[in-house]
Amino acid sequence: MPLIMVVDDDQDLAEMLGIVLNGSGFEVDLVNNGDGVMEIFRANTPDLVLLDVMLPGIDGIEVCRLIRKESMVPIVMLTAKGDTHDVVLGLEAGADDYMVKPFNPSELVARLKVRLRRTVAEAITSLRIGDLAIDQVAHTIARDGKSIPLTRLEFDLLVALAKEPGRVFTREALLSEVWGYQHATDTRLVNVHIQRLRSKIERDPDNPELILTVRGVGYKAGSVGSSEK
Amino acid sequence: MSKLLRSWRTSILVRVSALTVALCMLLILVVGTFLTAQITNGVYREKMSASISEADSLSNYAQGQLDATTYRMDIKLKTVLDNIFHVGDVNSSVIQREVILLPTPKTAKISSKYQGSSNFLDFSILTPEFRNKVRKHFSVQSEYIKIKYLTGATIQGIAVGTVITIPNNLDYEIYYLFPLTQQEQLISLIDVLLWISGGILILLIALITWYGTGRIVKPVREAAEIAEELTAGDLGRRLVVRGEDEIGRLAVAFNEMAVSLQQQISRLENLSRLQQRFVADVSHELRTPLTTIRMASQVLYEARQNLDPASARSAELLIAQIERFETLLTDLLEVSRFDARAAILETHELNITSVTRQVCDQLHSPEELKIIAPENAVTAQVDPRRIERILRNLVSNAIDHSEGKGVTIQIAQGDHEIAVGVRDYGIGFSEREGERLFDRFWRADPSRSRLRGGTGLGLAIAREDAQLHEGTLKAWGRPGGGAHFVLTLPKSPGIPISEEPISVIPEDAPSPALFDIDVDDI
Repeated sequence: MPLIMVVDDDQDLAEMLGIVLNGSGFEVDLVNNGDGVMEIFRANTPDLVLLDVMLPGIDGIEVCRLIRKESMVPIVMLTAKGDTHDVVLGLEAGADDYMVKPFNPSELVARLKVRLRRTVAEAITSLRIGDLAIDQVAHTIARDGKSIPLTRLEFDLLVALAKEPGRVFTREALLSEVWGYQHATDTRLVNVHIQRLRSKIERDPDNPELILTVRGVGYKAGSVGSSEK
Repeated sequence: MSKLLRSWRTSILVRVSALTVALCMLLILVVGTFLTAQITNGVYREKMSASISEADSLSNYAQGQLDATTYRMDIKLKTVLDNIFHVGDVNSSVIQREVILLPTPKTAKISSKYQGSSNFLDFSILTPEFRNKVRKHFSVQSEYIKIKYLTGATIQGIAVGTVITIPNNLDYEIYYLFPLTQQEQLISLIDVLLWISGGILILLIALITWYGTGRIVKPVREAAEIAEELTAGDLGRRLVVRGEDEIGRLAVAFNEMAVSLQQQISRLENLSRLQQRFVADVSHELRTPLTTIRMASQVLYEARQNLDPASARSAELLIAQIERFETLLTDLLEVSRFDARAAILETHELNITSVTRQVCDQLHSPEELKIIAPENAVTAQVDPRRIERILRNLVSNAIDHSEGKGVTIQIAQGDHEIAVGVRDYGIGFSEREGERLFDRFWRADPSRSRLRGGTGLGLAIAREDAQLHEGTLKAWGRPGGGAHFVLTLPKSPGIPISEEPISVIPEDAPSPALFDIDVDDI
């Protein structure tokens, strides 16, 4: 059973989250205080962290940053504000996805499942994008034999683009493919993660060659030909 | 010319200086004219009396000489007459005087052989009136005249005349003509000096006025400039205080005003920030328990088969009402964000046609939704979340009020704007209702809207959203004739709307005349 660490200062909400998640087949660790998060995180190594942005002690965004320093575990933020500023701040701190309170519990469970799903190894187990080798079985990417650490979400995003090199993905298409959203228009998620992915894999993130922006439409994988030169 | 007029209108300095100079010029003109007249008068009068006494003594001397010829043989009449004509003008290049000797009319009848003059002069300058006067009085008479030479030259002068008797009782009029050349030269010199000093005076006055007014106007102008900068938002600007005079006091008062203005504004800004913080805090504080309640109700709802019928129904009602409460909270927060001016526009290129289709699909309408759109893509730089919200609102509103007569959604574009019109043929609304349509919590038909669970904020938010895009949301309606809502947006933010691709009055509107008659009949 996947272990989910729920970090929330509101004990009732945390307990309720525990009940719902338990009922959906997850094991749950409840943490009420931002200060104690890291020890419990290190001790229990959860499969996913569900994090409330506003926490006493250190705030959620800081916790997010601390976890991201040590681990590529999926992080989903709970936020009371749909405001751009907070959402972007959370995403930039390393959160993979966010839920705005009050949310539909079944939607929460669905999102968590998407974040936890293992990419099924397909016929092509080894993909290339530019000069990057993607190993779908080992979940790693490497340039010149040197592996580059990616979060699972970033990996999924890269694989989605690399699998269909010619296709231009709209942000909406990526949201549904990678995040599991239906009818979503919040494209900030995509923009922030594409940027973070670029900063990890592009030689020059300001002049991306691997993930190209198609103005007014979306993104596509850079021409594989560049590696064959 | 217009530039001059402009500086006249806009600059006190120019106006005051110009007025001062003009007034001084007038003054100098009056004083100067008066002075010249006085001086001219004095000089001429003085010359006149000198001329009279000179002519008097000359004529007396001549008479004496003439009388002497009768008893002294050594004095020849001819010499005396020659002397009469040439007295005094010894080696002088300037003509001192001219002499004319004319016979009286009585003498002329006998002989005019002594008639003559010192130069080639035109005798007609001596008018008959003057000559009469000379003959009537036996003392000398004088007059201002123009001395005219036969060569054509004329000069201003004084004529002094009297009657002398040449032996054998021949009466002759003798006229001494004194030119005023020197006096005229003197007067014109004085004139020139007077006007030159007047000009210099005006120049000095202009400079002094310019400088003096400038000293007063400069701080005023500075104050105006700084006030303009304050208005433009640069609240830190202050005047430099110089001295303790009125201008210094103006600067101090001005600066105090600026300080108090700055304080007021920062207080208001603080208030607005507090308000935003408050909204954010309320948002968080309400949302967290609401999340818990919602999850709890979901758990109860999912377990409703195991509950007795009353509890099961309660769970159903609970979950429905929580949903409604949530929508209301979201709308309220949105409205307060607009009120706090904290709403931010996040624009992306959006295909209006496809987002309209998407919204219509999601509504799962029981009504027929007809979408009329141009074949080529209609796109605009807009905030997708807000546009989708407006469209969902308009379309679901139309569905609610269409009474099964269908809804038509039209999409059109102009050069710089796009428009979406949502038309239904249902109950519509009256003009009076139309005025309140966009008011918060206003419902045309409370029972109907409550049934659907609308918050009463939908249209208010939709209009705010449209205005945030610098677009418009207009409504048209007729009781029983349906309603037409038109959203018009600029294709890119910042471009003002210049035309309306869709008119808010629908083409299939009942003709206004007919409609009016119907109303009158009722």
